[in-house]
Amino acid sequence: MAVSIVPTLRILKPAALIVGVAFVGLIFGYWANAAFTTGSYNTLYPGPGPEQPINFSHRIHAGDYQIECLYCHTEARRSTSAGVPAVSKCAGCHQLVVPERPQIRMVLEYWENQEPIPWVKVHDLPDFVYFSHKRHVLAGVDCQTCHGPVETMDVVSRMAPNQMGQCLTCHREHQVEFGLDCLTCHK
Amino acid sequence: MSSIDRRDFLKLVGAGGVGAGAGFMLRESIKHPTQHLIPYPIPPEEFSPGIATWYNTVCSMCSAGCGISVRTREGRAKKIEGNPAHPVSQGRLCARGQAGLHTLYNPDRLTGPLLRVGEGESGELMPVTWDEGLSQLAGRLNTLRDDGQGNRICFLSEGVRGHLAELFELFVDQLGSSRLLHYDFAHPQTLYAAINRLFGETHLPYYDLRNTRFLLSFGADYLGSWISPVHHGLGFGHSRQGRDEIRGRFVQIEPRMSLSGAAADEWIAANPGTEGILALGLGNHIVSQGGYQGADREEWAASLAAYSVESVATQTGVPAATIARLAETFADTQPSLAIGGGAAGNYSNGVDTLVAVNALNYLVGNLGREGGLVFNPEPIVGRGANASQATYSSMLDLARDARQGEIDVLILNQTNPVFTLPGAADFREALAQIPLIVSLSSFMDETTSMADLILPSHTYLESWGDDFPEPGVGFSAGAISQPVVSPLYDTRATGDIILGLARELSLTDALPWSDMEEYLQEGWRGIYARGSTEEEGFEAFWTDVLKAGVWGETTRRVLPASVDVSVIESVGVEAPEFSGSSDTYPFIFHPYLSNTLNDGRDANLPWMQEVPDPLTSVVYGSWVELNPTTASEMGLAEGDVVEVESPHGKVAAPVYVYPAIMPNVIAMPIGQGHDEYGRYANGRGVNPIQILSPEMEPETGGLAWAATRVRLTPTGQRIDLVKTGGVSRDLGREIIQTTESGTGSGETASLHSIPITVIPT
Repeated sequence: MAVSIVPTLRILKPAALIVGVAFVGLIFGYWANAAFTTGSYNTLYPGPGPEQPINFSHRIHAGDYQIECLYCHTEARRSTSAGVPAVSKCAGCHQLVVPERPQIRMVLEYWENQEPIPWVKVHDLPDFVYFSHKRHVLAGVDCQTCHGPVETMDVVSRMAPNQMGQCLTCHREHQVEFGLDCLTCHK
Repeated sequence: MSSIDRRDFLKLVGAGGVGAGAGFMLRESIKHPTQHLIPYPIPPEEFSPGIATWYNTVCSMCSAGCGISVRTREGRAKKIEGNPAHPVSQGRLCARGQAGLHTLYNPDRLTGPLLRVGEGESGELMPVTWDEGLSQLAGRLNTLRDDGQGNRICFLSEGVRGHLAELFELFVDQLGSSRLLHYDFAHPQTLYAAINRLFGETHLPYYDLRNTRFLLSFGADYLGSWISPVHHGLGFGHSRQGRDEIRGRFVQIEPRMSLSGAAADEWIAANPGTEGILALGLGNHIVSQGGYQGADREEWAASLAAYSVESVATQTGVPAATIARLAETFADTQPSLAIGGGAAGNYSNGVDTLVAVNALNYLVGNLGREGGLVFNPEPIVGRGANASQATYSSMLDLARDARQGEIDVLILNQTNPVFTLPGAADFREALAQIPLIVSLSSFMDETTSMADLILPSHTYLESWGDDFPEPGVGFSAGAISQPVVSPLYDTRATGDIILGLARELSLTDALPWSDMEEYLQEGWRGIYARGSTEEEGFEAFWTDVLKAGVWGETTRRVLPASVDVSVIESVGVEAPEFSGSSDTYPFIFHPYLSNTLNDGRDANLPWMQEVPDPLTSVVYGSWVELNPTTASEMGLAEGDVVEVESPHGKVAAPVYVYPAIMPNVIAMPIGQGHDEYGRYANGRGVNPIQILSPEMEPETGGLAWAATRVRLTPTGQRIDLVKTGGVSRDLGREIIQTTESGTGSGETASLHSIPITVIPT
């Protein structure tokens, strides 16, 4: 006896349509979410940088005005972390320099309230990686090697993968002592 | 295709909407969370982010006074180690000291002042401001002081030393009160009394374990809980392995093998309470064999005549040959050292026992020399740790006065007598009669839970202070305790609370300092002036001491010449008395201080709960240690829950079969059994202190906490003990290699002299 599936399909047709529309919606929602990116590192390379609480431009500071990286990121030469400048450092200049601009007024507002500016992290390494800025800065590695041409960016985004391959390639090239040992970075 | 009607359209719109929402959330959920870079508004001067800063300060986890170095990063304490420059800890630290971080970061800390609103204990504790709390208390204190009723105020603290102790004295004195008490369960007051009687010293001597060749310890668990375990551990290590051709020998005499017993070359179980008699037996043998040739030889011989080796052997259960051998080794191996403490100092004959033990040091010439007993100089600040210590009888007096309505205000500081006094004292009920109880404790505990006003103190890692270790190390040493982190909560340093009260009470003439730091600096100006020849000035001296974490003088004491004749005549040890008849209560109860929880104050530290007991490997709970013979006679095995009943109460805990305990003794660790001490301590195990008989050592009035008899009743219940050890037998694996100690034949088979061997259960 021949069994036809056509009657069953006929019943399922409206349901299939609903599921289909829901699936299209799912993909749309997933895609639309990208517009709300808040700065996670695994979605950022390569890609646009996250929106920051203040539209700080490295292009103006490091590019146009040639301010040294280490002038603001003072800890890079002596600590594992490069350090983000204290609000007092921003305010120190900007109380005199263009204090009237709207973005600068926001900075000064943080300063007056003695509140930190919640910068969004662009470059982040997993917790199982030990990385010391001090070692690399003292060895003469340019900041741009890992951070890209920051002095040309209005919004900082990731220009290098900053993954193990990049570390090892560089360590090999420069024949870093113990540069290929697991325990050098994973300790 | 049929046209879509209104219902289908709504269905499709709904499906599309739900799908889009689900898609959005899906991606949201797999995103890495946003990381922020949070700058400081103003960069801190003292540290750089990412670089560790070490601060030297003082440990307050027990009364030893070890110097510590705390590693901080970004203003947070991360790790505590011993300060290598400090003479007590010398770079080492015990588990309790390491766990100090859990005191700081404990989620059960009191975070701000609380006031009880409503009547009695039913009232609720509500947050108040510091100003409100302080003025509330100051108001009451002021009224009492103005009426000349200052003595209705009592200040009850944990044992403190240094400038904080002086501040307490000054403050209580200004209130017109004479009721200043320090109370610690394990304070060695019988040792103070014994040293005082024998040598006329008001402070404990320094026992030089480091350089001794033969150590005889009567009940003192010097590696685990006795006085200064870290320092003793260092001395033990050096004595054993630090010298090229000398290996120090250690003999431990106690009814239940402690950590020190397990580390000794020989463990001897004398009948509980006869340790002093044994010591006199040794003394008798030394004197009668001509091992002592001092001018007062005749007096000693007369006073020790009653303690012939044979009669002592009968009383103590230690074979005569062993006594003679020990006496000869003790006299011949120079320098040798005898110490006593722990349970041995807390029977009904505690002081006499410790006098007998320390007299041995005198008889073989151990006083004042390397590897012997060295007298400490007077404390630099204050009157020493023993000056304000409350004994059990003074706590009973306090309870009595409270019941009679003679106490109006009780100020508590970090002490928990409801937990550390026997149930028979009924301290909780006495406290309930006091109209206003104020607690300065950092944590809620059994006593603080009765408080009407709580003004929580900083932990030691957040406050200024100083400490002068007692017993010292043979010379004057001290250290400043400095805050290593900013206060985590709305708490204040104990000293600052006192000074704040003083301001409210207009006592600024007597206590003019604005805060503890200023008071401390003024005190240390006096220390600076002690013949400091350096010319750099006080500021530099202060910074130097803070940086080094220690200050000291190397001059040693001149010794007392001899022991007074009347003292020699009084030497003698009565047989111990135990509460409860031996028919109804067949076992002698041996509570011992936990190596990790102290007297229970460290039970709220997760690390300390997790550390297995070094001898039984049990974690988390309480247990009852039974000799295998006793256990098999009673048909008990590990995990069987038994009731331990004294004439004054009972507790129930599982059995742990422990080979190294006398058959007529049962032991329990102190420390567990809290019900108001935070999430990590509550509901674990039982508190053996609660069932102790209120028996007192007659001379000091201290609690004779080893003088209780108990009986055991199986409950029929069984639980699995949580422990890390597997099988306690060797099973031919040769994990523990044993040799016969060279003690002569036959003797080692007796329970009373078991060389270090694990007896198969």
